[in-house]
Amino acid sequence: MNTVPTSAEAPLVCWNCHERTLGTVFCSSCGKLLELPQGIDYFALFEMPRRLWIDMSSLEQKFLQLSWKLHPDNFVNASEQERELSLERSSELNDAYRTLREPVARVEYLLAIEGERKEGEKKQQALPELLEEVFELNESLDELREAKASGADLAGLKARLEAAAKSFQEKLGDVDGKLQAAAHEWDAALGGERATRERIMGRLNELLNRRSYIRNLVANVAKELAEV
Amino acid sequence: MGRIVGIDLGTTNSLVAYTDAQSGQPKCIPGPFGSPLCPSVVSIDADGGIVVGEPAKRRLLKQPERTIYSVKRLMGRGPADVQDELKLFPFRIDPTSKNVIRVRLGEKVFTPPEISAFILRELKNWAEAFFGETADRAVITVPAYFDDAQRQATKDAGKIAGLEVLRLVNEPTAAALAYGLHEKQRGRVAVYDLGGGTFDISVLKLISTSEGDIYQVLSTNGDTHLGGDDIDNLLQAFVHELILQHDQIDFSPHGELAQELRKALIHMKHQLSEAEAVMLRFPLPSGKVFTHEFTRGAFEALIRPVVDRTMGPLKQALADAQFKPSDMDEVVLVGGATRTPLIRRTVQEYFDRKPHTELNPDEVVALGAAVQANILDRGVKNMLLLDVTPLSLGIETYGGAVAKIIPRNSTIPASAQELYTTGVDNQTGIDIHVLQGERELAKDCRSLARFTLKVPPAPAGLPRIEVRFLIDANGILQVGAKDLRTGEQHSIEVQPSYGISDAEIEHMLEESIEYAEQDFAERQLIEARTEAESILTATAKALTNPQSASLAAEERARIDATVAALKESVAGSDYKLIRKRIDELNQATERLAELLMSSAVSTALEGRKLAEV
Repeated sequence: MNTVPTSAEAPLVCWNCHERTLGTVFCSSCGKLLELPQGIDYFALFEMPRRLWIDMSSLEQKFLQLSWKLHPDNFVNASEQERELSLERSSELNDAYRTLREPVARVEYLLAIEGERKEGEKKQQALPELLEEVFELNESLDELREAKASGADLAGLKARLEAAAKSFQEKLGDVDGKLQAAAHEWDAALGGERATRERIMGRLNELLNRRSYIRNLVANVAKELAEV
Repeated sequence: MGRIVGIDLGTTNSLVAYTDAQSGQPKCIPGPFGSPLCPSVVSIDADGGIVVGEPAKRRLLKQPERTIYSVKRLMGRGPADVQDELKLFPFRIDPTSKNVIRVRLGEKVFTPPEISAFILRELKNWAEAFFGETADRAVITVPAYFDDAQRQATKDAGKIAGLEVLRLVNEPTAAALAYGLHEKQRGRVAVYDLGGGTFDISVLKLISTSEGDIYQVLSTNGDTHLGGDDIDNLLQAFVHELILQHDQIDFSPHGELAQELRKALIHMKHQLSEAEAVMLRFPLPSGKVFTHEFTRGAFEALIRPVVDRTMGPLKQALADAQFKPSDMDEVVLVGGATRTPLIRRTVQEYFDRKPHTELNPDEVVALGAAVQANILDRGVKNMLLLDVTPLSLGIETYGGAVAKIIPRNSTIPASAQELYTTGVDNQTGIDIHVLQGERELAKDCRSLARFTLKVPPAPAGLPRIEVRFLIDANGILQVGAKDLRTGEQHSIEVQPSYGISDAEIEHMLEESIEYAEQDFAERQLIEARTEAESILTATAKALTNPQSASLAAEERARIDATVAALKESVAGSDYKLIRKRIDELNQATERLAELLMSSAVSTALEGRKLAEV
């Protein structure tokens, strides 16, 4: 029903005994640590479908299970090649866990491997419906900086900025809610038509850009306020 | 291969520990003075001889210009980094220092890793005397908040001391390992580690799985220049000022009198952990005695800034792990400075939980290092340590900004790939600047390395080079590159911003071996002679046993001949020959040893040596 690439798609040949092997971690013939299978993505590494709603406890369990096998501690007395492999594979595992465990990083990664993550020119572009508010915010920020420099009273400005920050924080929450809804939609359409999935990915991409834009605003305000 | 040890290379004291094969418990190895604490002090004689530990500490007063303490503060630092330290510590930085600091001791100049290597070599000697065999591999602990350069410097020190450094382990993590083994703790653990010169806070999760126990570090934070030393500095500055006011004596901050005062103040500080008030009496050169009563309250008011400085990192570590103070199941105190009642109270109030102090806070880190050494040596499969990188790794981007590519608190090993291409036709190199730290601008982060990526000449934008930044299990950066068009792997020569080159390390290693060779041979001779005496005594005693009459004539003749040969070698000074003869006598007396045991146990004890029976 879904498109999880598994090791079965590309049978592995062991670097050590040159046998074809069924394992993905250790060679089924000679037991040596295997090279990372070509083109395996983070979802496949955890033997999970490309879903956006993940059961965190099974993700963690799988992470710990693989850590036992791959960690460099197990290969201190092994050959140079195995030590290198362990370093490579355990770092890949840790990178994968770090990415999949964070909901936003997970969406970004999914879009990247599906070839649908489009940031760049669009990312920092102001959102039309927010133009007015952002304009006001920037004005308040300028005033705050000027007031700081001249030692004027900051209380009023601070209150205004705090209100703005709160409003943007709420918008961030709103985007997160929409991201979650879209993630549900994605999971439901996982085995569906490409067109539907592309539409959802377009939406996810747009939401990510929106989120990143608002987050920058929130961070800027927080930074200025922290310095008051 | 020799034995493996765990070493706590501390700012104030260093220790060496091992895991006892029988009990599976880690133990500290005592030095020649009976204590396992080796003061991290090094002194150089006029004739170039090196003195380490307690004897060196005694020279701090009389020969301060030949003696150095707290060298850990200089590890992996550049001259510009340590200007503040120089006001407080009597480091004599040599003007020839460039990226790497060089410290003058008497007539000679050393890098901090070389000085640390003297301490490591001393501990290695302690271990070898204790085991009666070489110790050539080690797990060395570092503050969790040490950056790449500080870690690399520690690893270099190990190499210079003739140790293969199998792993650098973070000090609070090591402490958690020791406590875990001791108390079978589970759940969420915070480790608060305030040592002589460094502060670390680590938040861990101890997980039991069907394969064994996992120690997963979730977050870590700290300050590599905050510790008991700072308490001493505050006390010293305070009393110095009092003496200046009352007695109009302004002594040089690093002279003999200052060292004398510091010593008296440290003693008073220790007393104040128990006593409510202590009268400081300090004889001045004028013959007058300066007196001042310190109450616990006044002392605590004075040192509160140090304790307060630990709170920021503490809160950040909890926030990063997404815990509240009340979420923690256990809190562990590590480091000599946590004996201070104010610190215990502060930590207890913050977590609303009585912290663990059962294990000696001076020893617990070394014990944990020995646990990890045992895991690596024996391939112990029922314990796994997952640690994190304390600082974000970034690369400089356009306009001096930093792009974070591996966030802090990522489980290590961790990696990140970056794709590079060229901006102009036939460009042959791309400059890459790697940094560590949380700030947004490159100038505010710690520079780890700069290097130029070589690119084959091609039209702009055509080359595609993937650079892989990898932080290994020691928290040390490795860089590799791959040309995506050709699939060719490039090795990258990364010159660390504050490190010493491999060639320099080689040279230092050779020099240090020259220093060490002589003492090593002498020690080996003494040890071999002692062992020879004990086996000769055991053989003589065994031969008086009636059972020995059952020996065949040629067996008896062989024993007599090897005894004579061993005695002859003991009179000489070749320890290798003595060892060889000891082995020969052990072989010659195998049957005698069997005869002395009842036949029932002899099978179980097969292969035992006579001296063990």
